[in-house]
Amino acid sequence: MGDLFANLGLGFATVLSLSPVDLPGLGPTSLPVNILLCFIGCLVGTLIGVLPGVGPIATIAMLLPITFKFDPTGALIMLAGIYYGAQYGGSTTAILVNIPGEATSVVTTLDGHQMARQGRAGVALGMAAIGSFFAGCVATVLIAALGAPLTRLALIFGPAEYFSLMIMGLVFAVVLARGSILKAVAMILLGILLSTVGTDLETGQERMTFGLQFLSDGIDFAVLAMGLFGIAEILRNLDNVETRDVVKQAIGRLLPSREDLRQSIAPILRGTAIGSILGILPGNGAVLGPFAAYTVEKKLAKDPRRFGRGAIEGVAGPESANNAGAQTSFIPLLTLGIPPNAVMALMVGAMTIHGIIPGPQVMTKNPNLFWGMIASMWVGNLMLLIINLPLVGLWVRLLKVPYRLMFPAILMFCCIGIYSINSLPTDVMFIAFFGLVGYALIKFGFEPAPLLLGFVLGKLMEENLRRALIISRGDMMTFLERGVSAGLLAVALIMLIIALLPTIQKRRDEVFTE
Amino acid sequence: MTSQPERAAEPRSGPIRDTQSLVAGLALIALAAFAVWAISNLPQGTLRQMGPAMLPRWLAIGVGLCGLALLISAFTAVGPALERWSLRGPVFVILAIFVFAVTIRPFPIGPLSTPGLGLIAAGPLAIIIGGFATPEARLRDLVILALALTAFCMVLFGDLLNLPIPMFPQALSDLFPQTVSNDNRLRSVAGLMALTALAIFLVTHRSSRPADVAHHTGQV
Repeated sequence: MGDLFANLGLGFATVLSLSPVDLPGLGPTSLPVNILLCFIGCLVGTLIGVLPGVGPIATIAMLLPITFKFDPTGALIMLAGIYYGAQYGGSTTAILVNIPGEATSVVTTLDGHQMARQGRAGVALGMAAIGSFFAGCVATVLIAALGAPLTRLALIFGPAEYFSLMIMGLVFAVVLARGSILKAVAMILLGILLSTVGTDLETGQERMTFGLQFLSDGIDFAVLAMGLFGIAEILRNLDNVETRDVVKQAIGRLLPSREDLRQSIAPILRGTAIGSILGILPGNGAVLGPFAAYTVEKKLAKDPRRFGRGAIEGVAGPESANNAGAQTSFIPLLTLGIPPNAVMALMVGAMTIHGIIPGPQVMTKNPNLFWGMIASMWVGNLMLLIINLPLVGLWVRLLKVPYRLMFPAILMFCCIGIYSINSLPTDVMFIAFFGLVGYALIKFGFEPAPLLLGFVLGKLMEENLRRALIISRGDMMTFLERGVSAGLLAVALIMLIIALLPTIQKRRDEVFTE
Repeated sequence: MTSQPERAAEPRSGPIRDTQSLVAGLALIALAAFAVWAISNLPQGTLRQMGPAMLPRWLAIGVGLCGLALLISAFTAVGPALERWSLRGPVFVILAIFVFAVTIRPFPIGPLSTPGLGLIAAGPLAIIIGGFATPEARLRDLVILALALTAFCMVLFGDLLNLPIPMFPQALSDLFPQTVSNDNRLRSVAGLMALTALAIFLVTHRSSRPADVAHHTGQV
């Protein structure tokens, strides 16, 4: 317990620390740079995240270059801020426009938008903010508490255990993906296949590069993500005739009444618990959080018919679960070095750009960065609460910008963003290529998110598979003979079988289409 | 991985009950075959000492099997038809990205090379060409957006963040007197662009939806 507080103290000291900055005109001045970066990250993340049709993945990919200038700690604090900001912005859009920015805010549209239509948009936004803040506080403490023990666990993991853990993560990702299981499996395999493009690290031979020089280092992750999520999303949105249903009613007051609060306390607590637990699961468990929280609230309600007609519990529960999951999904990344979803995969990319390899060694080698990032999560949540409530009017005006002007701007930011990473025009051309690929995938009914996850885990998996097999002298049984590894594979197998059972499969469809 | 599925939706007739799965399955099989071909000259190795081709080959076979399963399901289960494909959106968006890529800095195409015009040209070109991806595009709005947003990006990325992005061609930079610093050259060019955007906005200003345009140009 004492350790926990000492570590959090170190984190807050990092976040609040002053560093000298050379301001034009003023000369060197001491400024709390990290906290300013956190603030800017939250603000810009919300600004972009509010735009309908721009989810957290595209937002982070687009804003990655603005973090390049700073030291790794500041950059990651800013990126984390961008992430919560985008997440929170998505909820604002869901409530005000009835367009979910991404999968996790789908359920918020159900009751949140209804509340907005009844002139209670302010209360819905306020409740979402309060619920998210509470969930964020709990999740921060949870990450801090679980960080150290899980890291110790990770250090005893060998290649075989890592490989099995990643298999389990990918199975979870398949089970939790929307739509057909077969298509999700295909996407994950394709993602891993794409990750093998480039020079083979062990033998130095080029694989599937066709003699092209820019492929010899493999496909750049940021390029793939920007193409699949930024450009393909624009192409998809252009196909749909835009019907934006921005609420015409007044926003109303922001602070929930005593009665609203009383109704929401239990849902917030339950949502936080559900979201935190699901968020830790490898393989995008965070997506399931809001759905599960909504279902639980509906089951527990005295009068379930109120749901879908503007029940405040239907906003408070899922929003808390959403934010808790968004934060606890950092746990697998920070402790084991395994990204559980596409957003965290992007974080891996960002960390690598700054020269940090995610994994158990981050905590021991860069304690400032590790604990600073965790403390910044709490600070970021507080800032979101402060930024968002007074700025609601601005977000509403932003929502009225027509898409015909929005997408060219997004397009240019994507181009600048990707060019600034490597200064390579071929990278820019590749986002066009992957944009087309992503557009085709969407048209064929494939989800691009599992592909991205497979791509990120692919390299790690191949490395660990090879190492494990070298150690065991080519014996595949090593994955079953080692206890932990066998256990992880068993969990994966059980999950897969359960998901394939006809009754469960039917229920799964219901959850995702609700 | 370069197999770009260009097939249009097949008509819904005969034993095929799920055109989306059919085309998706065929695309996956084609992709898998392509990957197997692409690694055919690499050694497979043994489990004990895996060669570079082993894992990609397993994965390609897995992708192919998924494709096969999808193909079979197209005949057994009813599914959604293939959605309509539009051409205008992808063509303009892709064109805009390519124009950005070849104008941001000199790009060799065969023996020739495109002139490196920097962000001052690449940004507006991308916005204006890309903007025509929707039939609702209006040139006036796009020009204003392009000028104002590029000016904003030049100041943000060039001046504040110092990212190594080419901003404008050397010829333009040479127009300034030697005494003016690089940063001030950038700022004055950006300021000029923003003023031009404002001027166009004011001159062509009519009562139709003016407030929106003025509002977001600075913020998006």
